[in-house]
Amino acid sequence: MTGICIALAICCVAISQSLAQELGSKSFKLFYDNEPFKINCLYKNTEGYIYAGTTDGLYSFDGIGFKKNNFSKPGIKDTVTAIFQDNSKQLWAGFKSGRLAKKTNGLLEYFEMEEGNPKAAITSFVQDKQNNIWFASNGEGIYYFANKHLYLINAENGLSDLHVRTLALTANGDVLAATDQGINICRLVNGKAQVKVIGPKNGLPDYYVTSIVAAGNNSFWIGMQEKGFCLYNHSTGIITIPPAMQKWSYGQVNDLLVSQKSLWIATDEYGLLKQNGMDAPVDVLNAATGIQNKINNLLQDNEGNIWMSTNTELIAITGNKLKLLPVYPPEIFETIHATLCDYQNNIWICSNAGLIKYSFVDGHYVEKKYSFPALNSKTDIIGLYQDLNHNIWIGTMGKGILVLNPETGQSRSLKENPLLQNASILSITGRGNTVCAGGLEGVAMIFNITEKNKTITEKYSFTNYNDIENVGNNYIYNVYKDSRGRIWFGTDGKGITVLENGKLTTYNKTNGLKDDHIYTFTEDKDGNIWFNTEGAGIYRFDGKSFKNYTTTDGISDLKITALKTGPLGNIIMVNKKGLDILNTKTGTISYITGKQGIADVSTDMGSVAQDTAGNIVITTHKGIVIYAPVENTVYQPRTIIENVQLFLTDVDKNVSGNYRYDQNSFQFNFTGLYYSTPDEVHYQYKLDGLDTAWVQTRDRTVTFPKLQPGTYKFQVRSSLNENFDVADEATYEFVIEKPVWKRFWFIALSLLVLLALFYWYIKRREKQVKKVQQLQQEKIQFEFQVLRNQVNPHFLFNSFNTLISFIEEDPAMAVDYVEKLSSFFRNIVNYRDQDVISLEEEIGILKTYFYLQQKRHGQNLTLNISISEEQKKLIFIPPLTLQLLIENAIKHNAVSKETPLEIKIYLENNDMLVIKNNINPKVSREPGTGTGLQNIVKRYNLLSNEDVSVLNDGINFTVILPVLNKID
Amino acid sequence: MFKRPIILLFTLILFSSNASAPALYSVSSGSITFSSDAPLELVRASSNQLKGIFDAEKKQFAFSVNINSFKGFNSQLQQEHFNENYLESNKFPRASFEGKIIEDVDLKKNGYYNIRAKGNLTVHGVTQERIIKCELIIKNNIVSVKSNFTVLLADHNITIPKVVHEKLASEIKVEVKADLIDK
Repeated sequence: MTGICIALAICCVAISQSLAQELGSKSFKLFYDNEPFKINCLYKNTEGYIYAGTTDGLYSFDGIGFKKNNFSKPGIKDTVTAIFQDNSKQLWAGFKSGRLAKKTNGLLEYFEMEEGNPKAAITSFVQDKQNNIWFASNGEGIYYFANKHLYLINAENGLSDLHVRTLALTANGDVLAATDQGINICRLVNGKAQVKVIGPKNGLPDYYVTSIVAAGNNSFWIGMQEKGFCLYNHSTGIITIPPAMQKWSYGQVNDLLVSQKSLWIATDEYGLLKQNGMDAPVDVLNAATGIQNKINNLLQDNEGNIWMSTNTELIAITGNKLKLLPVYPPEIFETIHATLCDYQNNIWICSNAGLIKYSFVDGHYVEKKYSFPALNSKTDIIGLYQDLNHNIWIGTMGKGILVLNPETGQSRSLKENPLLQNASILSITGRGNTVCAGGLEGVAMIFNITEKNKTITEKYSFTNYNDIENVGNNYIYNVYKDSRGRIWFGTDGKGITVLENGKLTTYNKTNGLKDDHIYTFTEDKDGNIWFNTEGAGIYRFDGKSFKNYTTTDGISDLKITALKTGPLGNIIMVNKKGLDILNTKTGTISYITGKQGIADVSTDMGSVAQDTAGNIVITTHKGIVIYAPVENTVYQPRTIIENVQLFLTDVDKNVSGNYRYDQNSFQFNFTGLYYSTPDEVHYQYKLDGLDTAWVQTRDRTVTFPKLQPGTYKFQVRSSLNENFDVADEATYEFVIEKPVWKRFWFIALSLLVLLALFYWYIKRREKQVKKVQQLQQEKIQFEFQVLRNQVNPHFLFNSFNTLISFIEEDPAMAVDYVEKLSSFFRNIVNYRDQDVISLEEEIGILKTYFYLQQKRHGQNLTLNISISEEQKKLIFIPPLTLQLLIENAIKHNAVSKETPLEIKIYLENNDMLVIKNNINPKVSREPGTGTGLQNIVKRYNLLSNEDVSVLNDGINFTVILPVLNKID
Repeated sequence: MFKRPIILLFTLILFSSNASAPALYSVSSGSITFSSDAPLELVRASSNQLKGIFDAEKKQFAFSVNINSFKGFNSQLQQEHFNENYLESNKFPRASFEGKIIEDVDLKKNGYYNIRAKGNLTVHGVTQERIIKCELIIKNNIVSVKSNFTVLLADHNITIPKVVHEKLASEIKVEVKADLIDK
């Protein structure tokens, strides 16, 4: 026996399970406030937000629910039939009534045109290369704005039909219009519209065109009513009809969607169809999507999911992103340890020490089994690899390596190295003309494949590296050849050894690796080597340093089955729940899990494969799942502030706001747009100006009541995990002004005013105190004067002289005189402390004094007082005032028989007390200080507002004192 | 393309002496007023020599007015400038609007209709395609038309010297009122 066995190939009948199934589909019933609505159109704006135009108005859809976009005027209900966002980010809505509306600051407002509104439903918008907005109507033709006017293209301009379903813009600026009578090509030349019609004579299979979508390269897919779809090249004018259209039996095409190399077709009666290339057949996806008949619109979100609207639901499927091939019955899942996708994209799995190949032929999978007598039924096949000769290498536990020629069915066990006899292989990989095998007990082999090895009987040349230190007798989990020809060995506990140009280098814990149990390797598009460890996550090695990614970066499960580089360059980590996808540029991680329909993924390293396009093939309980990421899609949520509300009213969230001190209660509603798994989004927000710490939340709203005046910046960001390092952020800045009374200038002014008031008050008090002091002083001075006058030797001298003349003549009178004299001095003592005394009392003093004087001067001196008794009681006067005035009168005037002196005291007008005497000039004048009268004037100044008047007309000397009624 | 219907329509009138001719309406009385609202001056002028025809069946119409017939300027000099310098009425004696109505209107039924006319507006020799909104009140076979629209001077090559920029607006408001009766 030369060791060749012929594998017994058993052909099986085609499996009835035919096509790929749609995973992870979800549907949303079209209800708002318990009222159903129907979607007429779907639109995605530049931020990736999905809008639905419905019979109940314009709705936004965030992946969780519908939110109605209201008009600024309440109570308007209108059916939306078209939605558009122009180049300046303005959102437009077209209505069934023919009207247009613009959305500003979250509210819709009808757009009125001088030319009047169309009266037919608006079906589609487009913006041409001159930034003119065009919109099509279902019954009036095509309108467009230019030069501040609205223009209409209708039959007069050559439009073949006024019922236009949709518009599309071509590379050279022409506008294509789908009508009931063919495709119309519209072009503005010198401001005038020129129309050219494309119909059956140009190769268009059907007049009735329902949809036009861009296919790239100035080509467009045309959907029709009866004849399916075709491809129209606008540059050449050539119409290409796919072969599958000869058997078209699916009725009217409602909408088309291009996603990478697939065309998705929404029909009016047969649900969703798909075609993977011009010459491919058309697949019906009814069973997969569960939709039996009418699909109205198709839309692809920014993550690559496909959305479709029926009359009652909005449904999402993962589209091309995830495909389920239920090729094997679920029962054998547990026995599958190795999976391979060969060069013809056939699926190979191992089962019961044999292999099964599934080929896709004529619309279904055909099964072919291979068995190997060399293996007993207990042998586990753990790895499969197809080399460049298309032979399949099979790694087993305990039976070494077998090579199979899938065409002939021949196979042999490799005996090139005696070690292989009963070796247990842990992995088989390869690149180019090399196949690498790693295993237990010193299997670390590199096989060189040559042309001769096309026949498996030819021996393979190989090298075994089991004598290298750190590689040696250890378990070799993986041997990997990278694009530069380096060989990497991943060991169980001795880290990594790399063979480069004959030189060996080892990396382990001493180089910073946290874990030196290394499982699988992969290389990214930039030449970095990635590997996963048993428990420390994955590492990226750029040749110089290691970068670690673990759960803190968002890895959902550190038990990673295998590491692969996806077709778009991302690092894919397969775990038992699904996939973690690491974006090498941003470092962010997104997930494909049970929510998208994957369940129970095999944890065998060999069960993960890649197809010819590089898509990841994994083995699950339900069947083979292929992850084929869509180009130009996002992997992270997009953070959007939905609206900012001040006391429940929306404010303009696009400009920073200025508010008064009492406008201080704000609510922020935000979303991290992620249509694949909207419930898995984590948020962080922060209000700079209130708190500098980020707050974690799963809610999509936050309220800040009663904010203090200040400058604020609200920031929110979203992520699929707890890692927010490169999360998309949205902000809103605003300022709350201080109330007037807290502003600097107001406070400063107030303080100044207060100070001024205080100052003025103090000054007033001072003045008052001073006034009182002055009064006191005057009084003292006056007393002093009086006292001086009274102790005046002259007065005493004269008084005593008078007294002497009485003593002998009239002793009784002398006694009387002395009594009066003493009484007068007693009065001075009694009244000198008072500021004012009653006139009654003063006249009493006066009379006493006058008696003394009259004794001296006799009848030549008269005093006439004409004031009533009541008035004497009511009027007040500083004490000794009258006395001093009379004293003055006597002092300064001659008193004789020839020149008598008469003094009159009376009231004038009830407010003036007059003391008047006739003037008798003296020959020799007694010296007087003059201060007595001055003193009286000063005292009256302090006691009254009225002044004392002194009149001297040569004949009479008059002093007028203001009447004091109350005590001051 | 769109031929000059004005010739067409006038020929129709010529031969419309036959009975049961399609409903042809013509202007029995009509006025057209324009106003220029500039910061320093308000200029208004009107003409009641509006002529026009409307073919109800084909929905086609043609209106015209002599530029010379506008009266009501603020001064004689202004009228002269209007005719000689701005509109050059010696070269372009008439302004006209001819076209087709977009909506379908049944002129036999009394009522109030809001319609739009798509046509060519020729002023100062320059033709511009315009859509103009009109109100029609139909009563007892009399069609009353009322319309307000704006004419941009730049659209029709009408230049105003910089000196009078504050006295003449670059957008002129036009109001048309006309009664049409079945001929």
